[in-house]
Amino acid sequence: MGLGAIGAALGEGYTAGLANEGLALRPKKSGDILKNMLVGQAVAESAAIFALVIAVLLLFLGTETPYLLKASAVLAAGLSMGFGAFGSGVGAGFPAGQASLGISRQPAMSGSLSTNMLIGSAVCQTPAILAMVVALLLIFSDFSSMPLFPTWAALLGAGLSTGLAAIGSGVGGGLAAGASCEGIARQPLSLGNVTTTMLVGQAVSQTPAIFGLLISFILLFSGFPESTALSAAMAPLGAGLCMGFGGIGPGIGNGLTAEEAVRWVARNLENTGGLTRTMLVGQAVAQSTAIYAMVVSLVLIFVI
Amino acid sequence: MEAIRKTEIKYCSRALTIALAVGIVCFLLALIPMGKGFILGSLFSIANFIIMGETLPLRIGHTRRKSTGISLVSMVGRYAMLAIPLALAVKTARFDLAATICGLFIVQLMILSEHVFHLIHNKFRKPRLF
Repeated sequence: MGLGAIGAALGEGYTAGLANEGLALRPKKSGDILKNMLVGQAVAESAAIFALVIAVLLLFLGTETPYLLKASAVLAAGLSMGFGAFGSGVGAGFPAGQASLGISRQPAMSGSLSTNMLIGSAVCQTPAILAMVVALLLIFSDFSSMPLFPTWAALLGAGLSTGLAAIGSGVGGGLAAGASCEGIARQPLSLGNVTTTMLVGQAVSQTPAIFGLLISFILLFSGFPESTALSAAMAPLGAGLCMGFGGIGPGIGNGLTAEEAVRWVARNLENTGGLTRTMLVGQAVAQSTAIYAMVVSLVLIFVI
Repeated sequence: MEAIRKTEIKYCSRALTIALAVGIVCFLLALIPMGKGFILGSLFSIANFIIMGETLPLRIGHTRRKSTGISLVSMVGRYAMLAIPLALAVKTARFDLAATICGLFIVQLMILSEHVFHLIHNKFRKPRLF
């Protein structure tokens, strides 16, 4: 919950900061700017509300027969949701802020800017939803029949894998969505092209979180044989950390690529095709590091 | 402030209508905990949105750092309030937990559904720049 609240507060602070800039530029449009800011912040907060739901479940749900493995599962659930909500909270602040500023530059486009902002913000929530799915599986699954060693490490790895990878995807998706709001405010004619490029860029930015989810599912459901050897426990924990940290960079990197592509599509509509292709090639290369992380994770799970 | 109030009234009245309609349907289908949970979650979601709107002027007119700080404090207070229906739903069988969680997102759902509706509506309309 703490991590989720920090992310959402950073996003909201960014939004309020740019709304201030917009108000200074065009005070007469304060009504539209504040309305957009409120709506944007309300949607951006969804990730933090997911974190709140998980926090309350962890606080009050309890287990009839507590066992050590459950402690590992609930810790992993909290980490997964906390990190996931952090990324989405920060990311959703970018479109809300840029749309608030954009309204001051292009008041006639306030409706389209709000719609685009909401689409972008909604996509930013996807990594937080993936993190919540993992957290709910960790809370509600019954692990009592599994061996304590090395399952405790696998559960912790499962939570960290999706949670950490979701940070990059949440922030990256937000960067693309923010640039699209900026682009529409700069060139209203680019609305369709900018939205399409934004969605393609965001979709690629979400893939590290999906890789993280895949590793989490493997760690949750593959069933490790009992072993007290240090390597048996460190391998699944390392797999989760490898995929989690390995997903942060590509998620943000893909978002940076999409951000610039979307920004330049708005300035140079005729070259939308070329810009989109270059963006996809750049993202594919940036994505390779996430794939390497996934391969190493799979080796750690199945070979070690 | 007038624009914010209008926005609050628009989304909160829609959210309340949907919450009551879902609640009545649940009561008619004898899904009483589900109906109660959805209405409870919706009421707190509406209260959260209203407090968010009313405290909005506090977040305006400061530096980005100060706005972030005020947002964090406001959020902690509002989330402590949002935790009440969840805790009630977990602790008592009178409220369905899943329905309460769904109810907590009713305002966000209203905002998104309005814009999705406009988007679909505009697709079938004659294209116009402004």
